Amino acid sequence: MRFVVRRLLLFAAALVGVSVLVFAALRILPGDVAVVMAGTNASASRVAELRAEFGLDRPYVVQYLDWAGGLLHGDLGMSALTGRAVAAQVGRRAAITFPLIVMSLVIALAIGLPLGCAASIARSPRLRGLFHVLAIAGGAVPALWSGLLLLLLFGRGVGLIGLFPSQGFPADGWGDPARAIASLILPALATGFVAAAGIMRYTRAALDDVAVDGGPVDMAMACGMTRTQAMLHVGLRLATPQLVSVIGLTFASMITGVMVIENLFALPGLGALLVGDVGNRDLVAVQSELFLLAAFFLVLGLIVDLTHRALDPRLAAEEE
Amino acid sequence: MQRLRVILRTMWSRGTGRYALVVLALWLLVALVSLFWTPRPLLATDGYHVWAVPSADHWLGTDGTGADVLSWLMAGSHTNLVIALLTVVCSGALGLLLVGLMVARSSALASVSVAVVDALISIPTVLIALLLAVPFGASAAVVVGACSIAYGLNLARVARPAALLAARSQYVESARADGASGLYVLVRHIVPNITPVLAVQLSMSAGTSVLAEAGLTYLGVGVGAGVPSWGHSLATSVKLINVFPLTVLWPGLIVTLVVVALNLFGDALRDAADPVANPALRAGVRGESADAMPDTLQAARPSLRSGIASADSPLVAHGTKEIVDER
Repeated sequence: MRFVVRRLLLFAAALVGVSVLVFAALRILPGDVAVVMAGTNASASRVAELRAEFGLDRPYVVQYLDWAGGLLHGDLGMSALTGRAVAAQVGRRAAITFPLIVMSLVIALAIGLPLGCAASIARSPRLRGLFHVLAIAGGAVPALWSGLLLLLLFGRGVGLIGLFPSQGFPADGWGDPARAIASLILPALATGFVAAAGIMRYTRAALDDVAVDGGPVDMAMACGMTRTQAMLHVGLRLATPQLVSVIGLTFASMITGVMVIENLFALPGLGALLVGDVGNRDLVAVQSELFLLAAFFLVLGLIVDLTHRALDPRLAAEEE
Repeated sequence: MQRLRVILRTMWSRGTGRYALVVLALWLLVALVSLFWTPRPLLATDGYHVWAVPSADHWLGTDGTGADVLSWLMAGSHTNLVIALLTVVCSGALGLLLVGLMVARSSALASVSVAVVDALISIPTVLIALLLAVPFGASAAVVVGACSIAYGLNLARVARPAALLAARSQYVESARADGASGLYVLVRHIVPNITPVLAVQLSMSAGTSVLAEAGLTYLGVGVGAGVPSWGHSLATSVKLINVFPLTVLWPGLIVTLVVVALNLFGDALRDAADPVANPALRAGVRGESADAMPDTLQAARPSLRSGIASADSPLVAHGTKEIVDER
């Protein structure tokens, strides 16, 4: 219990810290938003007017408190360029990015977990070497390239066998779920394959850590299990806490990992939004979006830590 | 010199090490050659042969502007080489600095730096790059900066257990009693203890910088427009894949081969340059059996474990950067 309270306090402190960090990082940027918005031929008075309108002439502390207060109420501010609420934009984009990440993760787990287990169970050096090279080669493929190859193979209109829509997302969003999912399959495969290599390595490493000589796996074998049984029933259970951490981290890193793929497949997701806003120097939007992303990582970290602890009673016992 | 020869020979004796050495040597060679000579001048475009298939004139074909693909890839190799080398140097420096802080004698300094590293380590490279790109614009410096920060943090975290063990050892204590400075202890005692980790992590950071360059350049925050790089070649070839798909193959293939080579190089170097793992380096001196080493040190040398020739580091399980995020 004490651990949970301490972890929650740490989480709250980290949120505040991150918001200050994002705010400060964006204030020291040279690009002046007001000048960008006013256009190239704007007079100095017009720039000052805009600056006053968006509150950019106030002291930093006031600006920060205003922004942070808004965040607490769920108000992410208005995009300075489009004049639309950032929260609405983020929400619409997240409806594409999140399903994409979840699908990628499922694919990565479906490929990476069994291969990782097989790599750890394999005993012959030749087979282990093969798995090792497979994991390294899988992790070395740029997602941009794997996406391209998938397009060339399966993209409709572009590829050899046109199975899936090659680019874009249905205009009516999730109105037709089958079409929406079909347009996410190739992108999800592209990121899923690459992430699978990582999951495979981690699974193998976690299992190898458990299967040290004289450890629990040997014990289970002494009790009559075959090596494979011992690895899958005892080893995998003992490795679960580590695997949960890895899955959480993979999930978190996919938020940015899918940016390139969203771009390639012309999916209007979060990554495209952020890249566009950075390019436009849309201060308010970038600030809130970066904070949201960072908060998302922190939430995942919190979930992973708490799950990790629930799954591994040894951690609690150690503290006593 | 003798030592270097032994290390290289050990690496060469394994298939994976040999592959890594050959590919990296080719990379160096091509990068050097491209400074003086490319099959075609970079800016020479052949308007009559746009998206040409490989031929005697254009060995790997031409792209959408009629520029020679091979020439651009060759020229790109030195940009990527510079980025990779700078990333290794900067992330190594940052990592060692952080390791030094994390194992500092002052417990306040140590715990604060551990907390900071833990907090910052989950920030993806792309996010750092986007932040850096706002003030600096698209440039190679953004790629180097983002990779160095991300990998420096990762290195610090992965190297900490072995470094801590060394920092709390009796030989460090005796060096301290002799009046050795913190810097001296770091260089003379702690760094040699984390060499296996350094070898793997630094070559991995070089590989990541190649991947990150490709992704970031495609997103428009990598190397500037018109600068030859593999990411640039990959990004240009993307625009019109349906016209001539074969052009797409080359840059991606080269990136993959090089990144595989860099990862294998790290593993091979770790096994070859570590006197504990490589008996040839001990030259007849009989040391303690590796079984007597503390777990932390054994964990850094997976090839010694359980007799099975495994080259994958279980330490990776404590790093976080390498999953998917750079792509």
